Amino acid sequence: MTLAQAVRAPQVRRVRHRPRRQAVHRPAERRRQAIATGWEIRSFLLVSGVVVACFLLVLLYLGQATAVSAAGYEAQRLEARRDELRRQNALLEIESARLDSPARVEAEAQRLGLVRAATIKVVPAEAIAAKR
Amino acid sequence: MTATVSRARLRVLFAFFAVATLVLSARLAYWQTFGRGDLLSRATDQVRTDLVVPAQRGVIRDRAGAILATTVELRSLYAIPGLIADREAAAGALAPILGERAAVIRAVLDSGAEWLFLRRRLPEETAARVAALGIKGLGFEKEPKRLYPNGSIAAQLLGFVNDDGLGQYGVEGRYEDVLHGAPGRLVVERDPANRELALGVRTGVPARHGEDLVLTVDLAVQTAAERELAAAIQRERATGGTVVVLDPRDGAVLAIASSPTYDPARVASANAESLRDRAISWTYEPGSTLKAITIAAALDKGAVTPKTTYDDVGYAVIGGRRLSNAQGKVYGPTNVTQILARSQNAGAVFVASKLGAPDLYAYLRAFGFGERSGVDLAAETTGSVRPLAEWYPVDLGTISFGQGVSVTPLQLASAYAAIANGGTLYRPYVVASRRDADGEHRTAPVALRRVISAETSATLRGMLTATVDDGIANAAALARYSVAGKTGTAQIPSDDGRYADDAYISSFAGFVPAEDPRMVVVVVLERPQSKLLGTLPAMAAFKGIATDALRYARVQPDRP
Repeated sequence: MTLAQAVRAPQVRRVRHRPRRQAVHRPAERRRQAIATGWEIRSFLLVSGVVVACFLLVLLYLGQATAVSAAGYEAQRLEARRDELRRQNALLEIESARLDSPARVEAEAQRLGLVRAATIKVVPAEAIAAKR
Repeated sequence: MTATVSRARLRVLFAFFAVATLVLSARLAYWQTFGRGDLLSRATDQVRTDLVVPAQRGVIRDRAGAILATTVELRSLYAIPGLIADREAAAGALAPILGERAAVIRAVLDSGAEWLFLRRRLPEETAARVAALGIKGLGFEKEPKRLYPNGSIAAQLLGFVNDDGLGQYGVEGRYEDVLHGAPGRLVVERDPANRELALGVRTGVPARHGEDLVLTVDLAVQTAAERELAAAIQRERATGGTVVVLDPRDGAVLAIASSPTYDPARVASANAESLRDRAISWTYEPGSTLKAITIAAALDKGAVTPKTTYDDVGYAVIGGRRLSNAQGKVYGPTNVTQILARSQNAGAVFVASKLGAPDLYAYLRAFGFGERSGVDLAAETTGSVRPLAEWYPVDLGTISFGQGVSVTPLQLASAYAAIANGGTLYRPYVVASRRDADGEHRTAPVALRRVISAETSATLRGMLTATVDDGIANAAALARYSVAGKTGTAQIPSDDGRYADDAYISSFAGFVPAEDPRMVVVVVLERPQSKLLGTLPAMAAFKGIATDALRYARVQPDRP
């Protein structure tokens, strides 16, 4: 039995007794019948609406949960990527420091045949200021 | 009859099910009540992981921001031999990359271990080459490693980090608690693929990373000090040596070099002697460099003036002992300035006699000898100044020219810094500032005490300048800069309590520019082969360091 049938079942049972009453053919009876039919439809629509709404809510929840889960995995992937980039950056900083090391620069300068400047001219700041 | 049997069977069946239901219900009730915690923890253990989040060790930088020590995660290569399809081929492919024989790698893979490290903390390019092989059954795990990009430069000053991640010696040892930080804890839930569940539990305590340290050390000056020390030791075939460079204005250590040295990347193969920072944990008799202290004390006390004169006969007799000038030279009438300029032992005895033992002792202690300087480095020693009560009469004479006391090179540099800066003794320091999550915390220089008056300081600066310009330390003179300083040659006590005949320690202590000192440099050479002339390489080292440091610091010349 479907849900609609289940909902309508009591009405069906009531309808089974109606033919005897219909034989009376009174207008009040017809009105009651029409009201009952309307109530049936409304009940069906209401229950169907609730079922559909629940279904949609569940669907929405599942969709959100899936989206959050997927975003979480993406965040983890990005975190791992960030950590790896930081590690690579640290390695590059180390390499940069090694290349900038005065001892290495000095050794490289010697290898290239460069020599130390014998004298370095120093111009006092006062002399420059005086010329201006 | 049949109905009766059936009813009986039904009763039995009913009873059986009733009992079974009762038992199952009881069991269920047990697991829902008393056994709940156990079940819950078992279920939790399957998905929940409790991780230790390691704290990152702080970075050490020089005063200009150059990295001296830092920690990076390097990849360690592990193998699961059971997953390697062809171990022979894998060993053959790994051998040239790891620099190991294929047979050795094969033997390791065949050792029966389920999981093992093949190499720990590989250089990045090596790890990349291994990864490119794409061999199934090989993998990487990241492990932290302390790296020193300048190699052996400042090795003893920095110290090192041992396999347990603990700092040893130097700054690493002294600031271990600050650099180390505190590990954190992270509890997460994971899926069967070991991925963290996005909607799972994620709690914990974050790690507190170690603080970064900025040193007072200048990498350029440090490099110059190491270079000049190595050159002097090589020329003199000395057994060791030390250089200390201080800023006399506040006691900041600009450089400390010590030889023999070691490569921090190969600490395991370094000998114990090379690990020692000789500037702070080795003592020696300072010899004539201490005459400046004796004369400073006598001037400050008013016992002598620069023009006080005595007649030098080549020796002095004190406590029944005859103490001679170097090489027995006789100088005749000599004033105190000349005593320093010629480095006369008899003259130093004369000055000390004028001062007296109690005052000489008091000034030695005031200058910081016989106690730790308080520098923020691990393993500093005190040196030795015997208590006054233990002095023999002759000690006044011998100590006046630097024998019978032992000092560290850093103590001598601090004492000369006090002479240079107008008379204040500063506590030497290495860490200029610490940086943590709250910001930067700068170290305030500590003036320990006034040792001599500003007038005495100025007078002595002039006398030491004359010693370089016209005296025994002329080889330390620099073009266009005034230099003040004093040489020292000390004998080395042997095991039998006497002085060795053929072993000396040569040194030079000076500062520049003499009128407005920016740096104090102490150079010490152990057992130089040219013996008494060993002060020449010490002075040459001073010149090399001072020339570079002055140029680098853009100090204007004070002479035409």
